Formats: sequence, C-alpha cells, structure tokens
Amino acid sequence: MHFPFPHARPLSVALLLGAGLLAGAAGLTGCGSDDDTSITIYSGRSESLVGPIFEAFTAETGIAVEARYGSSNDMALTLETEGSKTTADVFLSRSPGPTGYLNDLGMLADLDDEVLVEVNTANRSNGGTWVGFAGRARVLVYNIDEVSEDDLPDSVFDLTGPEYAGLVAIPGSNSSFQDWFTVFRLRNGDDIAIAWLDDMVANGSHFYPTNRAIVEAVGRDEVRFGLVNHYYNHQEVAENGDAQRSTNHGFAPGDDGGLMIIATASVLDSSDDKDLANRFLAFLLSDAQQRYLTDSVFEYPLATGVAPASQLPERPADSVGAVDIDDMAAEFKRTIEIIEASGVLDQ
Amino acid sequence: MSENPVAAPSTASDVRSRARTGRPPWDLSVGAVLVAALFALPGGYVLWRALTGGALHLLTERRSLEPLWRTVQLAFLVSASAALLGTALAWLTVRTDLPLRRFWRIVAPLPLVYPSFVGAAAFRSGLTPGGIVHDLAGHLGFDLQLRLHGLFGAWLVLTLFTYPYVYLPVAARLSALPSSLEENARLLGDRPLQVFRRVVVPQASSSIGAGSLLVFLYTVSDFGAVHLMRFETLTQTIYRTRLFDQGRSFALALLLLALALVVVATERTVARRGSRTEVIGDRSSLLIPLGRWKAAAIATCSLVVGLALFAPAVALADWGLFGWFRQRRGLAELRLDWGDVAGATWSTVWVSMVTAVVAIAVVLPVAYLLARHRSRLGGIVNGVVVAGFAIPGLVVAISLIFWTLHASPFEFLIGTMPVLVFAYVVHFGALAVRTAQVAVSSVPRQMNDAARLLGAGRLRRFFTVDLPIMAPGLAAGAGLVMLSTMKELPATLLVSPIGFRTLVVQIWDAYEALYLAEMAILSLVLVAISALLTWFLVVRRSDHLA
Repeated sequence: MHFPFPHARPLSVALLLGAGLLAGAAGLTGCGSDDDTSITIYSGRSESLVGPIFEAFTAETGIAVEARYGSSNDMALTLETEGSKTTADVFLSRSPGPTGYLNDLGMLADLDDEVLVEVNTANRSNGGTWVGFAGRARVLVYNIDEVSEDDLPDSVFDLTGPEYAGLVAIPGSNSSFQDWFTVFRLRNGDDIAIAWLDDMVANGSHFYPTNRAIVEAVGRDEVRFGLVNHYYNHQEVAENGDAQRSTNHGFAPGDDGGLMIIATASVLDSSDDKDLANRFLAFLLSDAQQRYLTDSVFEYPLATGVAPASQLPERPADSVGAVDIDDMAAEFKRTIEIIEASGVLDQ
Repeated sequence: MSENPVAAPSTASDVRSRARTGRPPWDLSVGAVLVAALFALPGGYVLWRALTGGALHLLTERRSLEPLWRTVQLAFLVSASAALLGTALAWLTVRTDLPLRRFWRIVAPLPLVYPSFVGAAAFRSGLTPGGIVHDLAGHLGFDLQLRLHGLFGAWLVLTLFTYPYVYLPVAARLSALPSSLEENARLLGDRPLQVFRRVVVPQASSSIGAGSLLVFLYTVSDFGAVHLMRFETLTQTIYRTRLFDQGRSFALALLLLALALVVVATERTVARRGSRTEVIGDRSSLLIPLGRWKAAAIATCSLVVGLALFAPAVALADWGLFGWFRQRRGLAELRLDWGDVAGATWSTVWVSMVTAVVAIAVVLPVAYLLARHRSRLGGIVNGVVVAGFAIPGLVVAISLIFWTLHASPFEFLIGTMPVLVFAYVVHFGALAVRTAQVAVSSVPRQMNDAARLLGAGRLRRFFTVDLPIMAPGLAAGAGLVMLSTMKELPATLLVSPIGFRTLVVQIWDAYEALYLAEMAILSLVLVAISALLTWFLVVRRSDHLA
C-alpha cells in the first residue's frame, strides 16, 4: 500500500481563502442602509418590470432605492415574519390579496391624501392603506387558427356549456385566479360560484399551474381556450411575433369573467421614512410612470387621466379592489378550499 | 483511543474490528451536538408552527394523505432510477476503458445545476411539438410521443436532474477502492455487466444508499419540477397555502419532515447493517476493458447525458440564439447588461465556494462521530442534519429570518452574507455528510496512530494524515454542496443582502418577465461556470488518488 503523501496544501489554502472571503463579505455588507436618502422596497413585481421605475425615481429625486424581489406571497410572508423589525418601507404586490393580508395584521400605514386622490376609489382600499398602480384584465385567451370570433362567449358562465366541453384551461392554483375567484364568489354568493366551478370540472376543463403555461398551451393548440390575465399574451406576441397563435377575448362589459386584478402599493407602518415612501408612491402614479407601465408592460394605468395603450382590450368595468374584503386571510383560505374540493387541480 | 499504536500490518477484518469504538471523546460530542442544534433550527420552527397552528387534525384527511401518497410514490421511483443511472455512469467513467473518460466525468454531474424550474421548462418546450428537440427527432425519423406531465413527466425530469447525487459519491468511492476484486472477477471470466452487479454494487452500496437518500429528500422538497409537470405533491399544497392558511401549510411541512426522518433512519439502519471499513486504493488500478460492450456503454452515457444535460441546453440555446438573431436584425435588443452578468457570475462562484468549504468544515465533526464511534448520539445528529435537506428552501429561509430577528443575539446580522451562507449550509450540509463519513472511515487508524507515535499533535495529524486521504471524498461532497448552492433560489431571494444577485436570481427575473432569450443565455452561463468549477475542484481532485 502506498502512503499517499500530503496534498494538504491546496485544501488548507482553500479553507483559509474561504474564511477570508467570508470575513470580508461580512465587513462589506455590515453597513446599514437606513439613512435619510434611501428607501427599501419589497417588490412582488419582477426587476425587469419595475427596476426602470426605481432608477427613474432615484435619478429624479436623489433618493436611492434598495429592492428585494420575490413572489408577492413570499414577500408578504417575509414581512409578516420580520414584523416591526423589517427594514422595508414600501411593499409592491402583484395583487390585492397579500397586501390585504398584511393590512389585516395591522402592518400597513395610512397613505397621504395626495397619493390616494390619484386613484379612483374603486382601485384603492377603503381604509386608505393601499392604492392600485396597474391593472390586469381577466380574459379568455383562444387559439386563432381553431376558433372563429363568432364562437366566442359573452359570459364566463357560457363556458360550462357543451360546446366548450374539454376545451378550456383553468389556472386553479394560481394566485390571480384565486383573487378573481374570491371576488366572483363574494359577488355571486358561494352557491353560484361553487356550482360554476363544479360545472367547469364536469365539463372536462383542464388544469394548468400558471397563466403563462395556459397561453403557451393555447398557442400550440394543446388546449383551445384559457382563463388568464391579459398581458401574458401581449408578452408572448412581443416575444414571438406572428408565430404566437393565440389572442385575448374580453367578456361582455359587466360580466363577472372580466374583472380587473390590480397590482398594489403600500407603505409599512414600521417605516421610519414614510414621507419618502409616499413620495415614491406618488411618483409611481405620475403620468410618465403610468405611461411606461401601459406602453411597455401592457398593463392598465390606474392613475386618473392616463389612457391605456391602444392595443389593450377595453378596460373591465370592475376590479378586485372594488369589493371590500373584511377578513382577507379567511376568504382566501375558503377560496383555496373550494378550489381543492372541486377537483379542478386533478384535471 | 485504546489500541496498540504499533499494530501489525492490517487485514480487512483487523481494520473492521477496530473501526468503531464506543464512547466518543467529549469535545467531538459537544461539537456534533452544536452542529445538530444549528441544523435543527428550520425543523424546530416547523414543529413549533405546526403545533401552535391548530391544523394538525387535517393530517389524517384525504386531502393531506393523497398528496403524501403521491409524494412517496414519486420519491421512491425517482430514487430507484437515479440510483441505477448514477451507479452505472460512475462505474463506466471511473473503472472502465470508456473512451473520453475525462469528458464524461466533467459532464456527468452537470445536470444537477439546472434550477428545476429552468430544466423542466426547457424540457417541456424542447420535447413537445414545436420544440427543437422534438422537431430534430422528427427529421431523423423518430416521432416523439411524449406527453410530459403528471407522474411520468415529474419522474423523468427529476431522475435526469438528480442522478448526480448518486453519481458523485459513487464515483468518489470507486476511485478510492482497490480494483483488485474487479480484476479478479474479470480474470475468472465475468462479463462487464456481471462484474458490475456482483462486485461493484456491493462495494459501493453504502455510497449508492447515501446518494439515493439525497435523491429521495430532494424529490420530496422539490417545487419547480412538480409544479410545471402538474403533479400535486406535498410541497405544492405547502406552497399554495403558505400565506393564507399557514396552520395547514406548516402541518403539511411537519408531515414532510416526519417522512424524511423515517427514511433517513431507515437508510441508516440498512447502511449500518452492511457497513464496511474502507481501505484506501492503490494508485495502479487497472481499467476494466469493455470489449464488445463498448458501444453499448457509449450509447448509455450518451443517452443519459444527452437527455439530462444537452437536450435542455439545446432548447436553451435555441431560445438564446433566437434572441441574438433578433438583436442582429435590429428587431429587439437583448435585455442583458454584460457587466451585471459578470457581477452575478462572480457572486455565484464565490458564494457557492465559500458555502461548500464552510459546509464541509461544519459536517466534519458529525462525520467523525458517525464513522469512528457507535453511539446513539450519532444517529440523532445524522437524522437532524440530513433531514434538513427535505425542508423546502422557502421554509428554511423564513425560519432563519424568524430565529435571527426574534430569538437570537444576532439580529444585526439580518440581511448580511453570513446569514445567507448559514442558510445555504443548513439546507445543503446534508449533501456532504455521508461522503464526509465515508472519507473519514477511509483513513486507516494505524496510520494516524503511527503519526501520533512519531509525536505529531492532533491538529497536525488532521492536516497531514487525515485530510489528504479524505480529500477526494470531501471534494465530492463539496461539489454537491457547491452545485446545489449555485442554483438555490428562495433563500437567495429572501435572506441575501439587498442587491446581492446570483445568476439564478437573474434567470428567475428573466423567466418571470418572459424574457426567454435572456433566461436561456444566463442559464447557459450558469452551466458553463459549473462545468469549469466541477473540472477544477471535483474531477481533478479525485484524480489525485485515482
């Protein structure tokens, strides 16, 4: 047997190097960030979408923005766990659910009136703790090669009919769908909402985990119709051009299928920089940033007086924010339970 | 240590009889208990939230038991197939005269590095109608009739992305074992497949078991692949209820943890029954000639690596090139800042290397305890450390935020690198435990004793005797930790210093914004960097003793 002579040096060097790096990193990042000229934003919208807004804000005001990104639910969960010790000043959410959840915990501050007046009452909280800053319409996406426009339904209730049997995709576990279904349920009552979902299941509707998976599947005619947010199709078209074989159909005005899901902005009650945070919200609602959100991100602007980009379908009459939800967590829990009980997730 | 330091030349049975002594020294016990206490933080949080969440009664309901059953089904299937693939590839690339061995040894572990949401997305879009792999196969005359979803889709994707958990430790084990048995079997007329079954598998069984266990735990904690494949496992329900129904979410997480503990304990019992002391290899090991099996061996390697590494890479390159041509034709700019990419690459490299080194250092006391002493403490510590791998990354992150801010003197550390590295180590330390344990037991005690007799202190013995012998095994464990850290997403998002971006954070951002070309290019950068690091740190290292 050979005596394996020491190769110890490389590994011990690696050990030392590792320890050095670690110490250096600790030193580098130990400095605090909570001074007068910066705000911290927890963002449930991705950096590609809102990063340019943060940069513009810093350029215009000199206030630095420190941003943590993640899904809205994860950001809300993190904020709840951090509690009053959070360094976050602003929370941006894809939908009102997570924001309302934090509101129920008493973690959100009252917003300045100058911010609130920018947004129509239908698109902000009654208590004045959050505003909507961009909207996404719930629509029916369909394959343009296989479906003629005459066959498109006016109402989401039509989709339970035999002509749609086995043809419709539902993103049952998706949070936008849950937002929509919660409002659908509160407007129509549980009996009607549950009956609709059960009928959809009985009609052979298919389950997909995300809006995007549905738009992709409809594009390649894996499934013919899907209940989704409108902007995924615009993004797919921007990415794929004519090769994307799907388009959106808006339900008739006032129909329950066509609610608007709004992205929301709020200020944490524990923030030491509420003035700066409110200034950021006002900036988010300024004409220039609202134009950016509709022209580049294809969403509906929510500040009064800004028109949607021309290629968007007509703006739905009602939005999720319009329904006042007392106990957000309880209602969403019930929604999740109803969706599970319907069996749609096994389709 | 009570044996006679001037021992006679060892025989296998001699070494075995002295391999494990009873009571461990007190400092080793204390060290191992401290490590276990740190690793228990996420599990402890889950337990506390589950007990106080008031939803434990849900665990016996159909809607909890069904996802549990699906989870168990998937995890067993994936473990079995990954064990088979990983062992076969390890033997072929380490022990046979397979052509291009170096090449295979670099690429074989790499599928591990695809973040599961990227891998599954690439797979789905590449292999379904309209995807590049599907169409290429069509040109070659194959009609791929793959319906990638449900149990089959999840099983396929997870098997292909997790077999390296078996491959790496088994390859390290085989390169440290003497090949004389295999050579004898060859001389006595066994064909390669018989050698594989009758000699290789029994010799490497402890590493195969350890690797399969990691595959099992990875599968039960995975979210990305099962989500995209529409297969409702426990993690799916945990994620769906994580905000609005936390009692149930944590109750199910506890169920996941209990499942993991049962499996870890079972594996340990089985592994102990068949435990063998290791003998370090002689360097002059011969390669088994494959003879007429060579073509089949090449085909196997090509198929596995082709499907697991190159098929997703081709789908990604397809997206990436599409974006690049689009830019060339002046249609749309690629939304990539190469300075940012370089910064994220550097962050990815150093944080994963630091994590790997720290993880090895942290699990070494546990490995010594497990390898050198038979004690109940060892079983408990092993269970705590290894089961941590089954806790989803999001839960690890949230629990560490809680402990750091609300129940420790380290509140000031929140949002700094040490907490992030700590989160990675707690999540991925399990990956290094068993390879480290095997490495420790490959150190012949009498060599250590001889060094002591010659007056070497404990620390010096560790660095000059133990560490060089353990290096290949430790490097394999470090490689697993490093590759896993490079693709970790939820903890990176939630507990990193604000503004810290790794490649996978950028990949996720591009994916969310539907910038597929950018996502693809970033993913390919990640794969390329992993290939380089695997070459430098894992393959070359284990060659030292091969």
